[in-house]
Amino acid sequence: MSLDLRRLTRCAVLTALALALSVAEGLVPLTILFPLPGLRLGLANLVTVYALCRLSRREALLILLARCLLGALVGGNLTALAFSLTGGALALGVMAAAVRLGALSLFGVSILGAAAHNTGQILAATAVLGSDAPLVYLPPLLLCSLVTGAVTGGASILLVQRVPEMAERNS
Amino acid sequence: MGTPARPPAAERTRPAWGDGAAVLLVVLAAAALFFSLLPPQGNFLTAQVVLNGEVLGEYPLDALEEPVLLPLDGAPWPITLELTPEGVRVLESACPGQDCVHGGWVRRAGGRIICLPNRLVVSLRGSGGASEEFDAVTG
Repeated sequence: MSLDLRRLTRCAVLTALALALSVAEGLVPLTILFPLPGLRLGLANLVTVYALCRLSRREALLILLARCLLGALVGGNLTALAFSLTGGALALGVMAAAVRLGALSLFGVSILGAAAHNTGQILAATAVLGSDAPLVYLPPLLLCSLVTGAVTGGASILLVQRVPEMAERNS
Repeated sequence: MGTPARPPAAERTRPAWGDGAAVLLVVLAAAALFFSLLPPQGNFLTAQVVLNGEVLGEYPLDALEEPVLLPLDGAPWPITLELTPEGVRVLESACPGQDCVHGGWVRRAGGRIICLPNRLVVSLRGSGGASEEFDAVTG
């Protein structure tokens, strides 16, 4: 009982953090500096990386779903939900596998996650438009994901190392 | 449930060799996709406007003598294209994202403007192939 409550609280706090990060990021859109549709820093991905490293895949998925649903409510944009869900789910899947490979640090994990997120978004856009036109944005987005992934990767290393592990048991 | 297994990547604080491989993988994927999408170049640009899957029109840009404003009334959010002999841009749009406006001019064959809220795709095509009448046209 107390364990469940603890996990619930933990997930809720991380969901709120992810939501706040993605809203804050939306206030300063990178696309004004560099006009490429779909370009974002992906700060909310920090929370996914943290959850994968310190909690479990299941909790990472629950946090992701809650963040996307709440984000769509806050933003009032249902099309955006399709994009953030496909991008986020693909990124989570790729990172869950990558984080278990011995050869990668969180830099590589975040870069692969950012690339997967962009790929998912573009795939969703091709589905929504019913045209392969959005694919032309994917190569530049993939190159940008090297930078955004490295930035969030560096931040996630700090986060995972510095934030003390949340206790799993009471005693 | 017990303590979850620690993934190895979580304990590293420095880049590992696998990170280089990940970067290479992404760069190769981007390059492969870029070259596979490379459009045929041509000197005569034609703008095709597709709204909601329906072709609204094809506009040969070289035939224009001065900039033409093209308001699209059928769009969910009012949007206006500006066509010039050199290229196309979204002049203004009432859509929430404004990505299409920030994207600016598209001047090359293969370039595209996409306004997702309006489900609008404007593609520039090169036609006429490499015309022999011109010795050097760069763009």
